[in-house]
Amino acid sequence: MLNAAGLSLDQAPPIQVPFSFFRLAPLFALLAGAVLLWDGEVVLVSRWLAPALAVTHLLALGFLTQVMCGALFQMLPVLAGAPVPQVVWVGRVTQLTLVLGCLALSWGLYSGGRASLMLGGSLLGLGLTTFVVAVGIALTRARGVPQTLRAMRFALAGLVMALVLGLVLLAGMLGARITGLAGWVDLHLSWALLGWVGMLIIGVGYQVVPMFHVTPAYPRWFTRMAAPLVLAALVASTGLVALGKAGLAGWALLPAVLVLAAFAMVTVNLQRRRERPRVDTTLLYWWSSMGLILISAGLWVLDGPAELLGVLLLVGVGVGLPTGMLLKIMSFLSWFHLQHPQVVARRFDVRFPHMQVFMPEGLARIQFAVFTLMLVLLTLAGLSSGSPWGAYLARGGGAAVMAGALLLVWMQWGCYRTYQSISRQLG
Amino acid sequence: MALHHRCDHLLAAAETQLQTGAWPSMVAAAEGLIAAMLEHFRVEEEQLFPQLAEVFQAAASPIEVMCSEHAQMRALLEDLGAAVEAHDQGACTGILETLHFLVQQHNYKEETVLYPMADGALREAGVRIAAQLSAE
Repeated sequence: MLNAAGLSLDQAPPIQVPFSFFRLAPLFALLAGAVLLWDGEVVLVSRWLAPALAVTHLLALGFLTQVMCGALFQMLPVLAGAPVPQVVWVGRVTQLTLVLGCLALSWGLYSGGRASLMLGGSLLGLGLTTFVVAVGIALTRARGVPQTLRAMRFALAGLVMALVLGLVLLAGMLGARITGLAGWVDLHLSWALLGWVGMLIIGVGYQVVPMFHVTPAYPRWFTRMAAPLVLAALVASTGLVALGKAGLAGWALLPAVLVLAAFAMVTVNLQRRRERPRVDTTLLYWWSSMGLILISAGLWVLDGPAELLGVLLLVGVGVGLPTGMLLKIMSFLSWFHLQHPQVVARRFDVRFPHMQVFMPEGLARIQFAVFTLMLVLLTLAGLSSGSPWGAYLARGGGAAVMAGALLLVWMQWGCYRTYQSISRQLG
Repeated sequence: MALHHRCDHLLAAAETQLQTGAWPSMVAAAEGLIAAMLEHFRVEEEQLFPQLAEVFQAAASPIEVMCSEHAQMRALLEDLGAAVEAHDQGACTGILETLHFLVQQHNYKEETVLYPMADGALREAGVRIAAQLSAE
């Protein structure tokens, strides 16, 4: 018997739950930009240096994971009829521990402080476990498109593996003996980027790409094999690292990288066949992200510099794609929640502005232009790292990261202010 | 479900006309969209939902939600009609964008929950009726 309760409007979490995640996330991009500006001469020289590790975690946890957590709390009830239990409390605990844990860990990585590292690891362990358990429970009750749900479950497994490996590496930094450290670091990175982020982009993409721009659905041959292949490659790579064969472990990831590249090509091809003609900023962010995934896959196969890959994937895709999605999601949620009392009353006496008013397209275009500038500067910095020019370019890129983040904060603030002012008018 | 896709196509067609800036064709496209959507709501509310509610009581709550969302979309379609009449391109863009998102999340709920529910419940009812008929 199908669960009829899955369709209650009240199952969508209060707007504050996703919004608090969305609104705090750009501040971490701002901090990452500040580190780039401050330490421009070293950040992109080596991924093993302290400022590079701090920037990576500020963006991966503070920006990207924070947005993804907020989005999942919102999406699961709507797309899968699966509300997260006790979402308000779970949301608060997750966010508080994620935010403080990310700050402590990043400071610990930057300064080498043992207490900060320990505090960061503990808080992140607590927060992400809370998140995984709550979302895991919701996913066991989920209905809907099986391929999307499977990719989301695998993504959650990716987050767990990235967390466990991260904690093991932290123990190593604090004195525990780990043989073949570089292999384990790469594995942590692979589970985080391909498992958690990659698989979630694939799962969410199956839903939102056809939905946002009215495109054909993803082909069955792709949706059937994509997520299992990524997972299989990650498991194989983990086994090889455990056996001490780090070199082979890298190549075991090839199928996962090829799946992501295929995802990018299929997505762009579907969007080329879209029926909605408008090229909005969200679409521009999708195109830039898919292009960057393709370039990154090529660079990875050619054994390109890891720092450049980090820029393209973490800054380009990791900051870009969520930003593009936020432009749509925040506008729609504002409008949708404002309408809720009228929907319940089945009376639509009060008419208020439509979606585009909450996040004006003109501002979004400027934000995308700043993002593009930032990407160009940081890519050039990555290519010329170590030279005096590299430092200037990295600092310029850092300033652009900060400008882009501030613009996003400004737009989000405008969206929330409009929401509140209409909400007050409605009484 | 085919009707949902038809409405998606019509909405996209209205957006295409809006981009060209040719108001006569935009008026025709918007009228086509409004008529198709209202007709779809009517079929669901007058035929599918009452039959489903009769054989499957648990469907009452989701049906209530779907009807509220129909009302919400009707209000937006009225706004669209007014914006088209006023040749207000900005308003039309915003309304179509909002309508698109509302329709997508509404259709998703209908297609993944309500329609499978209707498939199961109405098929069971069909089998029961057929059995009764053959027993007589």
